[in-house]
Amino acid sequence: MFKKTMLALGIFTLLFPVAAFAEDPSGATLDMGLNSVWVMLSFILVLLMQGGFILLETGSTRMKNAGHVAGKTIFTTGLAALIYWAFGYGIAFGGDSGLNALFGWGDFFFNPAIVADVAAGDTYPSTVFFLFQLAFAAVSLSIAWGGFAERAKLSSYIVFTLFFIAIIYPVVAHWIWGGGWLAEDGAQDFAGSTVVHLTGALAAFAATVLLKPRIGKFNKDGSANEILGHNQVFTALSVLLLWVGWFGFNAGSTVAVGEGFFGYVAFNTMLGAGAGGVAALLISWAVTGKADITTMLNGTLAGLVAITASCAFVDPWAAVVIGLVAGVLVFYSVKFFEKIKVDDPIYALSVHGAAGIWGTLANGIFATQALADQVGVGTGGLIDTGSWKQLWVQFESVVVVGAFVLAASFLVLGVMKMIMGFRVTEEQEIIGLDLSEHGAYGYPEQMKKAGQHIQG
Amino acid sequence: MDDPVQVQLLKQIGEADHVEGLRSLRDQAHEHMEALLPDRPVEQFNEQLNEVHDALIRRSIHLAEAEMARMGKGSPPVPYAYLLFGSGGRKEQTLSSDQDSGIVYEDPASDSPEVQQYFMELCELVVSNLQKTGYPLCEGNVLSSNPEWCLSLSAWSGKLEHWFNEPAWESVRYLLIVADARCVYGDEALLAELKDSYFTDMLETPVILKRMLENTMRHKVLLGFFGQLLKEQYGEDTGSLDIKYGAYIPMVNAIRLLSIQVGIRETATLDRIKRLEEASRLTAQEARSYEQAFRLFLRLRLMTTEQYSDGLYANNGKLSSRKLTREMTDELKSSLRLGKKLQRAVFKQTMGRLT
Repeated sequence: MFKKTMLALGIFTLLFPVAAFAEDPSGATLDMGLNSVWVMLSFILVLLMQGGFILLETGSTRMKNAGHVAGKTIFTTGLAALIYWAFGYGIAFGGDSGLNALFGWGDFFFNPAIVADVAAGDTYPSTVFFLFQLAFAAVSLSIAWGGFAERAKLSSYIVFTLFFIAIIYPVVAHWIWGGGWLAEDGAQDFAGSTVVHLTGALAAFAATVLLKPRIGKFNKDGSANEILGHNQVFTALSVLLLWVGWFGFNAGSTVAVGEGFFGYVAFNTMLGAGAGGVAALLISWAVTGKADITTMLNGTLAGLVAITASCAFVDPWAAVVIGLVAGVLVFYSVKFFEKIKVDDPIYALSVHGAAGIWGTLANGIFATQALADQVGVGTGGLIDTGSWKQLWVQFESVVVVGAFVLAASFLVLGVMKMIMGFRVTEEQEIIGLDLSEHGAYGYPEQMKKAGQHIQG
Repeated sequence: MDDPVQVQLLKQIGEADHVEGLRSLRDQAHEHMEALLPDRPVEQFNEQLNEVHDALIRRSIHLAEAEMARMGKGSPPVPYAYLLFGSGGRKEQTLSSDQDSGIVYEDPASDSPEVQQYFMELCELVVSNLQKTGYPLCEGNVLSSNPEWCLSLSAWSGKLEHWFNEPAWESVRYLLIVADARCVYGDEALLAELKDSYFTDMLETPVILKRMLENTMRHKVLLGFFGQLLKEQYGEDTGSLDIKYGAYIPMVNAIRLLSIQVGIRETATLDRIKRLEEASRLTAQEARSYEQAFRLFLRLRLMTTEQYSDGLYANNGKLSSRKLTREMTDELKSSLRLGKKLQRAVFKQTMGRLT
């Protein structure tokens, strides 16, 4: 028996010499490997959030636009990948531009090393980092589409993707994450309440203002009509998809496995989301007498958006408070936009804008010194340190980013509106974009029946 | 009644010999009543208004009978009672209420299909006369021209028994509708007999009360968690208050349910409150405060947006909050709190009786 075993081992060693004689991988290599698996997994989760946006946007809009709304998300995500590769990534994370405070320059048509160079200090291959960052840019873009919903021309989606992914989003990402001037000031935005959500929401705002409200949203006397989405189950399912994806979004933003800090980030993310949904349902119940599902779903997303900036900087109790405030805020924000007659079909301005601002500012209030040191960005907030410094930096980043994104979006969309037109015709809007932009309904059976009804 | 215009109008309505005449008299009555609304105490106004409605309905029935005779169908083969349900039954019609009606006729000695035929044809005419006079049809088809609501006394008893024994949602709703029945024309004794069997069945199936409770408490009072008024959030009526379903109906339902439990046959809500006080189901103080709250609801309901379309007087029961003064808003809030208190009391009493 012993002889046979030795013989087998001998043959095995001859056949696979590496297994016997290779050196164990170094700790740094293993660490790098773990990090890259984690970042890759996070990229996949964040990319899957596009599924959430597809369902969110279709569920919240009408049947006649369903195919268009769903399809364009896939299309623009693909387009965004190409543009981010060619240009956007270079602006956000490219080498020194000489004007490094404002934007990066380099790495256009990004051609990454095929593996990480551990010896040079890489903690993950740049390929996974690129993918992860690209997925963030695509999320921000899909948020912006909220302002386009149900009335923008298909061509306007293409043109805006170009400018947004090549310039607008990368500049903001560079300022806060790419070593730009806000990063130097110590602005805390862990996973992008400002960079991703506020940026997307303000682009949506510019779009919805330039497009003007959908036909039938507001009455002559200024009162609003409720244009209900065609599938609340889609909307609820979208929130679950986004929620799950958010663990890649937030916890993945550690871009390292290290001592497992990503677990803490995920933990705070969960608390913020729960608190947002609970607060929103209760406030709508208390104020309108009805426990509104849409509001609750918006509240859950608002909790997630708000905790995105602060998930790595605050204690768990603060995560709950941040979520609760976001839930209440989103309810009143929706009312506010309706009052000023801004049509926000999928509530992007409230969920990603208002909650994004709140989440960014919340760092200035709730961040603790210990966690700021752990992450290595900025300082503790008002409660922990008694200092207004961090709150001021947060405020500054919201205002500056807000002003830049609004100005850039109004410029791009305004020029686009003048040159090529932005909104479909009244007839096309009434028929629905499925037919006018693509020639086929997303729900052929139902819509044909409805069409016959109109003609008959 | 010391209003000479009213006396004159009632006299003219009683003498009108065609529907077009009734119609123009109703329009006149409307103008007159609208002018009275701001000054007259609401109870008196309501009474006066319902007198006009009753007179119009009676005359419409009378004209329909005459028309039947003219067509050679003869006169009613057996005595009958023309019943009003809903707000008509409760003597709480607004300037624009729809038709909710039925008929109960004496059991014919023989040839019942022919008798049924007569009443069906008669009711077709009545309903159409009333429509021409500006009363919209009941959306739930609770109409005397519907064979389900045009029955002989024994058929009615059978129907009631069936509803009591099978308290599905619809049956319970119908039973609550019948509780408000009032005879506006014809033989009152027939309705009295109908109500006799109603209350006998009631005693035999006390469990029906629980189902009635579930059915009537559906409408929530217009008062939010913070004690604020709940307004319409969207649409043409944004900012309006749903006075009908958020204030008036919850109170009507609560008082009706209390009344049914003690066999009170009055249908008007204010009358029911008085009977409940006599039966010691409400203290004098409670009765006064509920009466006061209900008067306010009646008044606000009369102020709700009138819609006049296709020649019919309609109303969506909603009141623009701009029409409310600050004092009225405060009064409405405290009345709604009373309404909520009443709902809770009814819930406790009804559930208490069953356990």
